This record gives sequence, C-alpha cells and structure tokens, in this order.
Amino acid sequence: MMQDYTHYIFLITKILAVIGSLIYVVFALVVVRQVATMSKNVSDKFNGILIAFSYIHLLAAILLVFLTLVVL
Amino acid sequence: MSRAANLDNIAPDDAVPPASPPPHSLPPKKKKKVHAPSIPPEIPNPPLPPSHSANLRFRQKIYELIKGKTASPLSAFLARPKVFTFQAREDSEEIILVLRRHWFTNLHWIVTAILMSLAPAFLQYFPILDFFPANYQFIFILFWYIITFAIAFEHFLSWYFNVFIITEERVVDIDMYNLLYTKFSEAKLSMIQDVTATQGGVSQTVLNYGTVLIQTASEIPVIKIERIPNPHLVVQILQQMRAEEEQEALDGRLQ
Repeated sequence: MMQDYTHYIFLITKILAVIGSLIYVVFALVVVRQVATMSKNVSDKFNGILIAFSYIHLLAAILLVFLTLVVL
Repeated sequence: MSRAANLDNIAPDDAVPPASPPPHSLPPKKKKKVHAPSIPPEIPNPPLPPSHSANLRFRQKIYELIKGKTASPLSAFLARPKVFTFQAREDSEEIILVLRRHWFTNLHWIVTAILMSLAPAFLQYFPILDFFPANYQFIFILFWYIITFAIAFEHFLSWYFNVFIITEERVVDIDMYNLLYTKFSEAKLSMIQDVTATQGGVSQTVLNYGTVLIQTASEIPVIKIERIPNPHLVVQILQQMRAEEEQEALDGRLQ
C-alpha cells in the first residue's frame, strides 16, 4: 500500500521536475535575448564573456530537461 | 573683420556678397604659365580635429578631476573609457564618465550565492532529501546549482548594464531593472538645472558612495543615480560640464 503511494509521489515529482526545467529553458532564452539586446545598447570588452555565459546557461537548462527525462 | 563677424551680420535669407579685395591690396598679377605636373601632389589628410571644446579650460579641469581613475571594464567609476560605447552615441561624442553602482551594493547577492553554493554540502547533516532515491537527489542538486547561478548572473547583469553616462553633450541613464524591464533616458547638459549629491549612513560615508539627483528642464524632470561612487566628484564634474556648455553658448559655438 505504502509502495503505491511512493510510486505516485515519485511520478508527481518527475512531472513537476520536467515542467520546472521546461520553464527554466524559457527563462534561459529570455536571459540570452536580454543580454544580446543590452549588449547592443551598452558595449564594452566584457560583453562577449557575458554573451558566452548566457549561452552556456541555456545549454545547461536544455541539458537539465534531458537529464530530468532520462534519469528520473 | 573676421569671417565669423561677417557671417554674424548676414541674415539667413540675404544673398552673400562676393568677396571684395582688401582696400590696399595690389592689383592682381598675371598668372604665369607653369607646367604643372599631370598628377597633383597628394596632400595628406589633416588629422581629425579634437572635440570642439576639448581645449577649453573647463575640460582640462575635468580631466584633472578624473585623472588616475580606473578604466577597467568592470569598474563602477569608468573615466574616459576607450572601448566602452553605447548605441545612441554620436560619432565624435566623447564619453567623460561611466558610472555603475558601488561594488559594496553587490555584496548581498555575492554572499547569498556563496551560501547557496555551499548549502548542498550540509545535506549530510540535514537529510531532507533522503526520502528520494539517489537519481532524484542528483537532479534536485543540479536544479539548486543552476538556480544559484541564475540568481548571481541576473544580479550581475543588473549591475553591469545599469549605467549612467556623462558625455560632452548630455547625460544618459540606462536602467535595467530586471530581465524584462529596461529604461533609457537622457538630458542635454544645457537642460540641467540643478545637481545634488546625498550621502547617508555608515557604509556610504566610509566607502564614499551615495546618490546624485539631477534636475532637468527636459521631459524627465529628475534623473536619480543611486549608490554611485564619489558622488561629490560627479557633482563637480557636472558643474564643470555645465559651465563649459554655458561658455560655448556665450561664444556662439553651441552645436
């Protein structure tokens, strides 16, 4: 009986994790877009690094979706 | 009479009279035939003149005020940056100063990010995830670290892109409140009416940062620059810039 409940809890957790990571990908996309826009407005030496970081962040978010689907 | 004075006496619609020879000038000599070379000698382009008011004493005083200040791209007080630029900048417009919030204002999110990074190490003392299997715990920790990075990155972006720029012609305020809301405002130096600096509290007094209020006669009545380093120096620089603009207006050289 307890095992059934545990199964449901894990299933709900997995669904929430997938939804959360998908929302996070959208957020990461917004970050990429915003950094690109602001870099056009204000440009300096450091902008390239920031753009690179925003893309790395987006890749990490996409990887998280895959990991959530595969590992959980 | 100088050329500038002549032009001052002519109305815009008047026909410009042909240039007359000076009263005591010699009669024009007959042009001698000279065998000119077929290819005219190349005249090197003269170097671009410096900014129209760069030689003014006001500007020199400003340069003295900001002498020795850092030009690092991650500085909160960028004096005459070489690489920094902004979208609405005109070609010959010189940037005098770029200001960001004082580094001390970043301390709260830096400490938060460090503590959040260290938090998973304490899970062995507070086993709140032990209910879940190892693969779930791994994903949760991954989530935790990526969110920690996002918090730190967003705060850094907010600091980095929140700039106040003083150029030789205007002041520009670029605000990035969060990832979805940004604001761009500017005012001509000639429109500035009053500049006030305020410092309050222990940290502001000790670390020399504060708020500068600029009252303008333009559409945006007040530009507020919060928690910037050396606020009194900024006020001094703005006063000098205003004096320079007034002098230019008097000289009839206002662009």
